[in-house]
Amino acid sequence: MNGLAKRLSARDTSVQSRALGDALFSHLLPTRRAEGWRWSDIQSALNDINQRVRVPREEEWSESAEAAVAHSARAGNVIAALAAGTADGWYSSWGPPFSNTSNPMFDQLGEVGSVGGRELEANEELVVVQHLKPEGGLAAHCYDFVVGPGARLTRVLLQSGDGVALVSGRVIVREFGQLRQFVLAEGAKLARIETHVEIEGEGAEVELHGVYFCDAGRHADLTSVVTHKAANGKTKQLIKGVARKGGRGVFQGKIVVERGARKTDARQYHHGMLLEEGAEIFAKPELMIHADDVACAHGNTAGGLDESALFYLRSRGLAEAEARALLIEAFLLEAVPEWLPAAVRDEVEARIGAWLRS
Amino acid sequence: MFEVNDLYVRVGEAEIIKGLTLAVPAGETHAIMGPNGSGKSTLAYALAGRGGYEVTAGAARLDGADLLALTPEARAAKGLFLSFQYPVEIPGLSAIAFLKAALNAQRKARGLEPMPAPALLKLMREKAQALNINEDMLKRPLNVGFSGGEKKRFEALQMAVLQPRFAILDETDSGLDIDALKLVAENVNALRSPARGMLVITHYQRLLDYIKPDRVHVLARGQIVKSGGPELALELEREGYDKYLRAA
Ligand SMILES: Nc1ncnc2c1ncn2[C@@H]1O[C@H](COP(=O)(O)OP(=O)(O)OP(=O)(O)O)[C@@H](O)[C@H]1O
Ligand SMILES: [Mg+2]
Repeated sequence: MNGLAKRLSARDTSVQSRALGDALFSHLLPTRRAEGWRWSDIQSALNDINQRVRVPREEEWSESAEAAVAHSARAGNVIAALAAGTADGWYSSWGPPFSNTSNPMFDQLGEVGSVGGRELEANEELVVVQHLKPEGGLAAHCYDFVVGPGARLTRVLLQSGDGVALVSGRVIVREFGQLRQFVLAEGAKLARIETHVEIEGEGAEVELHGVYFCDAGRHADLTSVVTHKAANGKTKQLIKGVARKGGRGVFQGKIVVERGARKTDARQYHHGMLLEEGAEIFAKPELMIHADDVACAHGNTAGGLDESALFYLRSRGLAEAEARALLIEAFLLEAVPEWLPAAVRDEVEARIGAWLRS
Repeated sequence: MFEVNDLYVRVGEAEIIKGLTLAVPAGETHAIMGPNGSGKSTLAYALAGRGGYEVTAGAARLDGADLLALTPEARAAKGLFLSFQYPVEIPGLSAIAFLKAALNAQRKARGLEPMPAPALLKLMREKAQALNINEDMLKRPLNVGFSGGEKKRFEALQMAVLQPRFAILDETDSGLDIDALKLVAENVNALRSPARGMLVITHYQRLLDYIKPDRVHVLARGQIVKSGGPELALELEREGYDKYLRAA
């Protein structure tokens, strides 16, 4: 054991899996036996794109991987460590410190890797829309935010492209802070979007929504952990996804309500639709509740298209392909939140529509 | 205009329709009555082309075209319309977007241009108003949270907008209150014309007071076991189906 190992055990307060930490010590990527990676085989995905990758050691981390991202990396977050090793600068150009849904900040994530983030001051509002479209290699990005008291972070991530696309975001939310997140994942050789949220202040509100769709040979993985550490917090999560033959969707969503987090209200739903024989959707929803007086609801389904709905539309004259597209579109759009900036919403709708009619 | 000949329909393992024959000439409205489970909805679904309703023998024609060879959407384009006994809820698809897509799909199948948006909106508003359907309802997801009567009124609205050649109304009256029943019946009657035909499935004479049928048929044991004028409905109301079931 080296010094890094000691620091990890002393500082590992996060709920990230220890298995990831093991991978980090060995500088190897997690295998499918590692917790949280069972359905996302990062090693074979990287083999397929002819990339030899090991997890960089701490001394190899970019200086710009400041304390926050380094914290995630030390805690065993492989994506954070990869990003820390490849990033060429700390990215937080989201100023002046004011933006809103009619004036979002747009940001194109690079081909290789980046680290960044921002601490929102009390009552500040920040709307960040990130596009990620790697062209076939490995891209690893790690972002770290703190949402100050009464502040609101709206974060949108739109993933497309090819290769292995990895994003990890960590958000600490203080009292009465709000985090609203929407992810659109079109899948890639392997696309994994991780979100780690820690609710540290009372009365915080978190929304984590997402849509994924996977064609043959594409893999989209939405993984999240929300930890309620303070009372009166709210989490709402709705993830919807579809897969065609040879495509694989993964949803892993954990909500932890710690002992002190009384009166937490947590709702988590994941609904997947298998569009063809040979499509795959794996889901692992987890609610871990250690507090009293908590309202929790969850639902997780994976099924096919509703045949009676399809017949209803066809009986009104809609051609089968169009009827299918309309129904799947309606299914997915339910997870696209109202609060998206209008231009982003248009883009999301257009991308879903284009994919369904491709 | 509409003929069904010696039709057999199987659902799963069960043969439900067993040699049914029926003809509705252009301009006429016929009623089908029959006990629960006698196969009225099965007949309607099979005619509209629903999967799982396997026609094992027989024929069905609309204006001479072989309906059974067509997809459900092609049957609709030919002018067939089925008002569902249980309209399907579709979360996420607004009623108005659905209606627009349906009308334009039918127009496209008939070689017509899409209806310009303003004209379409005007048409829908006008028809909706006649059925006492407010515009907010049109913006809601299709049938989701609609009351039973609202769903049936929305079926009637679809029919009014789509202007089918031949309509099958499967228990349009169920779920409607007395005023709504009159309103829907008025709208259905407004569609009656020498070029159109209708088949009205119902359990109750009351609907037939408003939508006066030219002929009434009794469906039992998978067949039409008796046909007659409007007075047959009155007789059924008095005496029930007993004698038709025992006649087996
Ligand atoms: N999927 C199925 N598998 C087997 N039997 C079925 C299936 N669907 C319907 N049936 C049976 O077919 C018969 C006819 O049903 P149908 O719905 O056509 O009756 P109906 O005349 O419309 O009745 P109601 O007046 O109650 O609406 C019933 O006995 C029903 O149980
Ligand atoms: Mg029925």
